[in-house]
Amino acid sequence: METHSKIFRPGMSPREIVERARGLDGVAITCTGMRDAGQSDFKNRHRIHDLRTLAPFYEEMNLFSSECHGGARWHVGIMNRKESPFEEIEILRQEMPSVLLQTLIRETNLWGYRPYPKNVIEYVVANVDIDVWRCFSFLNDIRNMRAVAEVVMKRGRLFQPAISFTQADWTTDEYYLSVVHDIVDLCGGTDEIILCIKDMAGVGSPERIRTLIDSIKQSYPELVVQYHRHATDGLAMPALLAAAQAGANILDAEEDSLTRFYGQAPLLGLHAYLEESGIKVLLNREAAEKAVQKVREWIGHYEWAESPFKGFDHNVTRHRMPGGAFPSSFEQAEKGGFLHLMPAILKVMSLYNRIVKYFDVTPGSQITWVTCSGIVNKYDKEKGLSGVEHVIKLLGKFVDEKGQDFSAMEPEEQEELLTLFRNAPGDFKNLLLGGYGKLPMGWPDEWVYQSAFGAEWEERLAERKELSPLDTLEPDDLEKIRSDLGVTIGRPPTEEEFILYLMHPKDALTMFEFREKYGETPFVLPTDVWREGLKNCKDKVEFDLWGKPYCIELVSIGSEHEGLIHVVMKVNNKTRVYTVETPRAKKAEIRMAQGPDEIGAPINGNVWRIGNSDRGTLKSGDIVHKGEEIANLEAMKMENAIVAPFDAQVVEIAVRLNDSVQEGQLLFVLKRLE
Amino acid sequence: MAEKIKKILVANRGVPAVRIMQTCRDRKIPTVAVYSTPDRLSLHVMVADSAVHIGDAPPVESYLNMDKIINAALEQGANVIHPGWGFLAENSQFAQMVMDAGLLWVGPSPRVIRLMGDKIEAKKMAIRANVPTIPGISDVKDVDQVREWMKNDEVSFPIMIKASAGGGGKGMVKVERDEDLANAISQARSEAKKAFGDEKLLAEKYIERGRHIEVQVVADEHGNVIHLFERECTLQRRNQKIIEEAPSPSVNEDLQREICFTAVRLMREIGYTTAGTVEFIFDSSTKRFYFLEVNTRLQVEHGVTELITGLDVVGIMLDVVQGRPFDFFQSDIHPNRWALEVRINAEDPRTFSPSFGTITRLQIPHGPGIRVASGVYEGADIPPYYDSLFMLLLTAGRDRDTAIRAMDRTLSRNFRVEGVKTLAPLLLSIIRHEAFQRGDFSTRFIENHMDELVSMFKEKDSQDEVLKIAKYVAEISALGPQEWM
Repeated sequence: METHSKIFRPGMSPREIVERARGLDGVAITCTGMRDAGQSDFKNRHRIHDLRTLAPFYEEMNLFSSECHGGARWHVGIMNRKESPFEEIEILRQEMPSVLLQTLIRETNLWGYRPYPKNVIEYVVANVDIDVWRCFSFLNDIRNMRAVAEVVMKRGRLFQPAISFTQADWTTDEYYLSVVHDIVDLCGGTDEIILCIKDMAGVGSPERIRTLIDSIKQSYPELVVQYHRHATDGLAMPALLAAAQAGANILDAEEDSLTRFYGQAPLLGLHAYLEESGIKVLLNREAAEKAVQKVREWIGHYEWAESPFKGFDHNVTRHRMPGGAFPSSFEQAEKGGFLHLMPAILKVMSLYNRIVKYFDVTPGSQITWVTCSGIVNKYDKEKGLSGVEHVIKLLGKFVDEKGQDFSAMEPEEQEELLTLFRNAPGDFKNLLLGGYGKLPMGWPDEWVYQSAFGAEWEERLAERKELSPLDTLEPDDLEKIRSDLGVTIGRPPTEEEFILYLMHPKDALTMFEFREKYGETPFVLPTDVWREGLKNCKDKVEFDLWGKPYCIELVSIGSEHEGLIHVVMKVNNKTRVYTVETPRAKKAEIRMAQGPDEIGAPINGNVWRIGNSDRGTLKSGDIVHKGEEIANLEAMKMENAIVAPFDAQVVEIAVRLNDSVQEGQLLFVLKRLE
Repeated sequence: MAEKIKKILVANRGVPAVRIMQTCRDRKIPTVAVYSTPDRLSLHVMVADSAVHIGDAPPVESYLNMDKIINAALEQGANVIHPGWGFLAENSQFAQMVMDAGLLWVGPSPRVIRLMGDKIEAKKMAIRANVPTIPGISDVKDVDQVREWMKNDEVSFPIMIKASAGGGGKGMVKVERDEDLANAISQARSEAKKAFGDEKLLAEKYIERGRHIEVQVVADEHGNVIHLFERECTLQRRNQKIIEEAPSPSVNEDLQREICFTAVRLMREIGYTTAGTVEFIFDSSTKRFYFLEVNTRLQVEHGVTELITGLDVVGIMLDVVQGRPFDFFQSDIHPNRWALEVRINAEDPRTFSPSFGTITRLQIPHGPGIRVASGVYEGADIPPYYDSLFMLLLTAGRDRDTAIRAMDRTLSRNFRVEGVKTLAPLLLSIIRHEAFQRGDFSTRFIENHMDELVSMFKEKDSQDEVLKIAKYVAEISALGPQEWM
């Protein structure tokens, strides 16, 4: 069968995968069309409804793997697409059963933005059905990868440690070889891992990449190397060729029709370029062409998600914003009304990253972005554009002219630098204190600490941790979190819901609420309807749900009246009227009881008595005793006594006699008597 | 009394009013509906030949407003009033007023209603007819009196405090512990006063794991008292029945014969006429049954008896009121079906909290072996002022399994209500429960198995799911792309 002729497929041991990769004549391809392509140029908005149409072609393409999971796709899925990554995996497993599914994971930060305790990491990694685990550290602090590596390798899945790459004076071959050395140590050799070089900003010049891979291959000839590269600087193709010539075994690429500026190189073009250069590419080109063509059927629905900042940007080699952060940063700038400050922010970033050295990739790139855009915005607000120019000049002088010699700056310039990071985000301060792990080139100079922490900088500096967060973070009480979640959602959560909640508690709850209300909507609606609805009379959307056909047809949309719009639709030929509240709808404010001191109505009903027959009506200030009836609700001719749960003073009576109340509505506010 | 029915006023609303009007239509008897303000467009008004507004929403102003109802009958030229069930059905004063106004009353005489309406008197009557009764005391005054009785008669908790004038679960409180006694008495008293205008209470031993079995009896004015066999009404929530069936799976043929003839003996002793029910509590461990009460009216669950016997109980009531003797004997009654009824209440199936509102979509079930008694139509409102029952679903088959299977089909595939919550998911869980299917249950079945029953609720249904999708499409079509996207 076709399936069994696949060189790489799920169920193979890591050792077997590595052996097959070593034996490749030429290179294999990881297709990023289902994750990084969308993240880098479309804010991760590509819905599984569309991506799954590519799966039958992936099944035939002879890919090394499909990167379809992780990075920011997880979080954006929950926040914006309302799809769970578990549901996506389930769909893809069904539609392309013989393709290795690959994720991108941020060591201790998993798919979130700050370190999780070891027990959370182990629990989550053990419960996600992924074949290839690409794991990176924005600090190249390999210690932080231990928990992920252990669980993945124990499960018999392929661990793919990544070194975060950037091109700077301090990122020498020697430096990277020491990182690779740590990795090989952690993973017990080179037989069960594939090393990834993660060029997340797309800054590696072809010759730099050639020498880096060459030196790694000389030290570890058996190590399988994969090169992941964004296209931002415009040099992706020659860099990928250089990587292949230097011995990289696997390259990342995406459908040509998905390429814009900040994602990976175009698959078909890369195939042609490498083959012409004498390097064989493991790829069923015919199937790949069909996938490229398929994308064109739906990619037009995502124009709104593309970055407002168009075109390659060779200056990325200085500001180093990673491809995956490009669209979202520009979106934030647009929403925040400071798009015009972007050139200044990128400039500040290019100076900042020489003062505090780490790799601009999640969560580092977010720290960089929030810190630098914060500084620029603050100067802009206080002193206008001249202020912005001033701070760039100040930093330029400090970094370029004075070689970061703080004492060489004028006293008033020193003073200004000493307040530069005062309003920096908590994550920046946590980074300085070792909360994420060790910085690759050591800690920044003391003036940075003074600037961030002010008078108490020395105390805070003394708290700085040298250990990995894996060794310092207290474990979470998973069973308690699970039962708390159950209380919040009013039912036991599924395993998947629990994990989503562990990663992003607030956003997961919002998503559960959405799904409770709108069910399978994210999986069945085509993207134009998902985003815009139906527009004209007789517009309809047809879909299958659980094996049966359905059709929703628009009849009419009424005009707004007192904040309400009536929409008439035919749902499977039956006419239905929907009343939609606009943001202007008047909301009848009903206060719901919250917390133990607020007594709510146990049922829908009528308040026919406040107080009880013995003492008559209650009023605020009265003392009531535990077990005493304080009100009575009547519903469908049955009486329901509300009793005081404890001895208390009545603080407020929130209803009046004969009010209709709904279940949970606030009746009394009590103050507990000690 | 050989007066013929010219026109009948049905002093009720919803399911009973519609049910009675159906038989009237069979007999080509014109009907008058009465309605309160919120019921102006309700189903029973539409089914009737004419309708009279009798007051505002609160029952005391409308369906309990005796003068208005009698005046409506007189004005409309109706010479008969059928009270249905609930409201004024067991109100002897109303029965008397109807007769005093020169109208025919479909029900037993005011004397019988009064006698049986007083639980204490009813119990005395049962003892006189040699019918076994539950140990208890009448005319409860205070906590001490109850404690003394319990001591003297060696009765232990739990006990029941009941409104003397009660019925339908109102004014009934079960007491588990001595500490709760005082509260229970005052709650029962208050409910009794409100529901029946009479705060007299009685206390009785509570039969644990008791079953509720009742016998349908019909009697004409010529001394014929005939039973139409028993019904099992054990499945209750908050003392209100939600599933009934006939025959009872709890009794064998001997017990069945004994219980039915005991009921006939009592009704004969009382001098009962028209349709009525003798209720028993059956202690399944000792196989003993005790008299509970007589319901002097048509009952909600009369339909299961009609399905197993082929008779029309409402029709029999109309014959009796016109003074006709029965044209059948006891030996003519041969039940040859098993019938099941579930009550579709507008309630949350998890909490039983009422769910009123508009029925935006109603798919009435159909198919082999199904009978539907509805009080509503698609688009109708369920107002908060009255009973939550709005539809009865009945199924019948040659045996119990067949009837249960038909009910499963009815509830799971055929029946659909949108706009209000109903008990349907709970009812389906119950009839699918292995203990129910074995016929092994007590009046506490639902409270004892609630978590299990709720866990059996079908998680998702594609018809519900597609409506969620449609709601989304409607909102986005009206509002355009959203910020969160």
